[in-house]
Amino acid sequence: MKTKNDFACIFGVTDTQLQALVSEGLRGGGDWCDLFFEDTSYTELMLRDGEVSTGGSHIDYGCGIRVLCGEKTGYAYAESTDYPALLTAARSASSISVAAKSLTINQKSPYAFRQSPEGITPHSPDNKALERHFYPMREDWREADAARFVPVLRKLESLIRAKDSSVHKVIAMLSYQVSDIMMYNSLGELSTDTRPVGSISVTVIFVRGGRTEMNNASRSFRAGVEMIGDTLLEEIAANVTAGMDERFEARRPKGGKMPVVMAAGASGILLHEAMGHAFEADFNRKGQSIFANKIGKRVASKGINILDDATIPGNRGSLNVDDEGIPGQKTYMVEDGILNSYLHDRISAAFYGVSPTGNGRRESFRYNPIPRMRCTYMESGNDGSMEDLISGVKKGIFVDQFSNGEVKIGEGDFTFYVKSGRLIENGRLTMPVKDINIVGNGPKALADIVAVASDLKIDDSTWTCGKEQSAPVSCGIPSVLVKKLTVGGD
Amino acid sequence: MLENEEKQLTRDCLAMALEAGAAKARASLSKNTMNIVATLDGEVDKVTGCLDRSISLNLFVDGRYGTFSTNKLDRESLRTFIVKAVDTTRMLATDTCRDLPDPNRTAKDAITGGELGICDPAWSSVTPDQRIAFALENSAHCGLADGCVAPAKFFEPASCVAVARRNNNSVSRAQGWKLISEEGEYSDSEYFNFVVDTQGLEVLHSETSFEFFTELTIQDSRGHKYSGGWWEAAPLLKDFHPEKVAAAALEEAVMQIGPKACPGGKYRAVIDSEVSQKVLNPILSALNAFSIQQKNSFLTDTLGKQIFPAGLDIMDMPRIPGEACGKMFDSEGVATSNHYIVKDGVVQEYFVNTYMSNKLGIAPTIEDATRPFIPAFKRDDFPAKADRQSLMAACGDGILITDFCGGNSNPATGDFSYAIQGYRFKEGKIVHPVREMLITGNIVTLWSQLLAAGADARRCRAKLTPTLAFDNVDFSG
Repeated sequence: MKTKNDFACIFGVTDTQLQALVSEGLRGGGDWCDLFFEDTSYTELMLRDGEVSTGGSHIDYGCGIRVLCGEKTGYAYAESTDYPALLTAARSASSISVAAKSLTINQKSPYAFRQSPEGITPHSPDNKALERHFYPMREDWREADAARFVPVLRKLESLIRAKDSSVHKVIAMLSYQVSDIMMYNSLGELSTDTRPVGSISVTVIFVRGGRTEMNNASRSFRAGVEMIGDTLLEEIAANVTAGMDERFEARRPKGGKMPVVMAAGASGILLHEAMGHAFEADFNRKGQSIFANKIGKRVASKGINILDDATIPGNRGSLNVDDEGIPGQKTYMVEDGILNSYLHDRISAAFYGVSPTGNGRRESFRYNPIPRMRCTYMESGNDGSMEDLISGVKKGIFVDQFSNGEVKIGEGDFTFYVKSGRLIENGRLTMPVKDINIVGNGPKALADIVAVASDLKIDDSTWTCGKEQSAPVSCGIPSVLVKKLTVGGD
Repeated sequence: MLENEEKQLTRDCLAMALEAGAAKARASLSKNTMNIVATLDGEVDKVTGCLDRSISLNLFVDGRYGTFSTNKLDRESLRTFIVKAVDTTRMLATDTCRDLPDPNRTAKDAITGGELGICDPAWSSVTPDQRIAFALENSAHCGLADGCVAPAKFFEPASCVAVARRNNNSVSRAQGWKLISEEGEYSDSEYFNFVVDTQGLEVLHSETSFEFFTELTIQDSRGHKYSGGWWEAAPLLKDFHPEKVAAAALEEAVMQIGPKACPGGKYRAVIDSEVSQKVLNPILSALNAFSIQQKNSFLTDTLGKQIFPAGLDIMDMPRIPGEACGKMFDSEGVATSNHYIVKDGVVQEYFVNTYMSNKLGIAPTIEDATRPFIPAFKRDDFPAKADRQSLMAACGDGILITDFCGGNSNPATGDFSYAIQGYRFKEGKIVHPVREMLITGNIVTLWSQLLAAGADARRCRAKLTPTLAFDNVDFSG
C-alpha cells in the first residue's frame, strides 16, 4: 500500500505547495478550497472475429482545484502538476469569489463544512482508516503484462460457443484501470486512495433460421488481477447464453396497466434511475426533485429499506473515501418506508445542516464533485420467494432484465425497456415477451410495491451512471411485486 | 491557438513510434479550451475554466494494431509511453486488414484549420465579465418587464420570459404554477484537431462554439413538477442568439401541465425537429459497415435498392462554410464531401472505413456521416417547406412528439419501442399533453409511412433533421 509520501512523489508536490495552493485559491475571499490529484491508467483488449487483435492503453493525469464561496463553485484544472500550472488553476478557480461577491449569497444556509466523520484522515497509513479498505488489490493491474489476458478472452469465447451452437459472433472486451487519487483541502485534511476497476463484457450475436438476436453480459469489480478466473468466465458465458430459446420465441404482448414482478438483481437499475436520482441532494436543494421537502415522510410501505452503500468489498460502486475526502459509508435513504436521508456532497450537507454522506463523486479531475450514487439497493423483505410473488398474480408481466432506462427527475416519470421477461397468467410464467417498455412514476411505483421477497441480489454488471459525468455504480434488489405499471405493447 | 510547438510535438510522436518499432502510425492532437458560467435562479453558481490537450496514437506494428492516448505531453513521458505502446501492440494478434487509408483519399485542403470558417477570432476577446453577463442576461430571472401579459394555456414565448421574471408575483401564482428553479449554462470553447500520419497526412481542423442552455422546473397548483429545457449554439459569436432560450424552456415546461391519458391506436405522428434524429439514428447505424460485418444491421444487402419512399433524400453535408459541426476529414484523415446517403429513396452508401473495406472486400467510403441532413419532402397534400405548425395543420388529427424517454431499437431487425412525451392535437391545434405513451413499430416500415419532412432543421445541431410527419403510427399507453 502506498504511503502519503508515495502519493506526493507521484504528483510531485510538497506539503508547503499544497498549503500555498489552497491559500491562493482562497485569496479572493472564498470559504473553501480543495485539490484533487489523479493519475489514471486504463487498458483495454478486445476479441472480435476470433482474435484479440484490438487493444490499447490510455493515461489521464492532472489536478482539479475547487473554490467554494457560499454555495457557489469556481473550478479549474491543470493537466500538469507543475507548480506554476497548479497556481494558474488555483487563481482561475478563485474567480468565483469575485463573481459571488456581487451577488446575494443565500444566508439561510451559513457555510459550515465539517471534519470527516470520526475526525479521521481517511486512508492515511498511520490511523484506523487503514482498516477501511474495501478493494485491496492482491495483484496490481499496472504490474501485469497485458499479454497474459489474451488467452482469457479466447477462453471466454470458447465457453460461449460451447454453450450454444447458434452463436454467430462474439465481441469480448477486458478493460482495467487503476487511479491513484490524492486530495487536500482547506481544513488541512489529506486523503489518498488507489481505485481499481476491472471489467469483462461480452456481446453475442445469435442466428437461428435466418433470424438474428443479440445479447450481452458483463461483470465488473473494484479488484486486482485476482478477479480473473475460470469461475468468472463460466458465469459470464452462462449469463450471455441464458434464455436465448425464449428470446427467439418472444413476442410483443398486449399492453396496458398491470402488476409487474421484477426479478432480483439487475432490476435494481430501476431503483437507481427512478428513485435514487430523486434522492440526490442537489436535485432536492434546488427544489427540482419530486422528493424535495419530504424527509421524514412516508414514501414506501412499512418494512421497505433502500440504501446507497460504498462499503461492499470489491463492489464496482464502493469507495474508501469519496472525491471530497469523506469516508465511504452506508446510507439508508428509505428506512422502514420513511424517507430518511438524501445523498449528500459537502455543499448540500452544509445547506441542509447534516453530515456529508460520502456521495461527493466526480468522473475525473476535470469535474467538480456532485452527489452521486454508489451501490444502490433495497434490502430483502419477508414476503417469501420470487415464485411466491408470481403465484399471487393473475395477469401481469415478469421482468428479469431492463435496459435503456430514463427518468425525469422533477416529474418522477420513468421508462425502461424490457430486455427479457414473460407473461404471468394465473400465477404462472407463460409466453416470453420482448420489445416492450415499462412506464411509470418513481414515487408512485415505490408506494405501489406490495411485496418484497427475501432474495436480495447485487448485480455486478458494468453499470455506469451518466448524470452530467460518468461514474461506476452498481445496483441490486430482491424480487418485488409492483401493484400496477403501464406496459407498452401492441 | 494551436502553437507550432504543439504541432511539432505531434509530428515527433510519429518519429518516436517508428523508432520504437512501428511500421506505420497516425497521431492526433486534440486541444480544447472551454469556459463555463453556470447559473442557478439568476445568480452565478459555478465558473469553470478548462484546457484539455491529449495525443491519440494508432500504431501498426508487425501486422498488429493498437490505439493509445495520453495527456502527459512532455517529451520524456511521451517517449516512454510510446515505447510501451509499441510493446503492448506486439502482444496482440495479427490483423492484416488494419492499415492507414490510401493517401489518395485523405484531405489535402484542410491546411489552416480555418477553411470552413467556423473558428471565430472573436472567441479570444470574450472576457470573463462578458461570460458572466451572457449567462445572467439570458436567465429568465433577469430583470422585470412591466406590462407583460399573464400566460394563457398556450402563449407566445415572449410572455413566458415575462412570467418567469415575475414568478413570485400574484399573476403567475394565479395561473396555477410557479417557477421552482432555473439552471442556466453559458459556455464557449475553441477546439483544434491536428492529425498526421507516416504516409504524409497532415490536416488541421479548428472550430469555436458559443452555447447557452436553460432548464426550468415549475410546479402546478396540485404540486406536480414539470421541467423544460432549451439551448442555442453557434460557431460564430455574431450568429449566437440565446435571447429566447429561457422563454422556450419555460414554454416547454408550462405546456406539459395537465397531461391526460390517450387511448392507444394508430395516429398520425408529428415528430418535432428537436428530437426527430431519434428515428434517423438507427438508419445511420445500420448503414455502418461494422454493423453489417457483424450481422447486426437491418439494412444488410440494401445498397442500390429502393428501401425508403421515392423522393426522400438523406445527405451528408459536412462542408458547408460557416455551419456548425462541419469537418473536412474523418478520424483517419479521409476527406469528407457533401453527398447523398439515400437518394430518391435508394440507398447510395454504406459507411466503410479502411479496416472494414479490407475486411469486407468492398470499396472504402467515409467512416460515418459527419453532418447528416434530410431535405424537405412531401406527399401530395402536404405543404412545401413546412414546419411543426404547418405539418400539424396538414395532418389534422394526431400526436405531436416533442421528446423521447427511453426505449430501444433492435439493430438487427429495426423493431423499436420508444416512450414519448408530447401532445394530442386535433384540427391542427394542440389539445392536451399526453402521458405514459409509447410508439412501437419497425424503422423501415415507419419511414415508408412518411408524409412529409419539414424545412425547419436546427442549424446548431450535428444532425440536421427537420420536423417529420408519419401516417399510421402505433401508439400505446
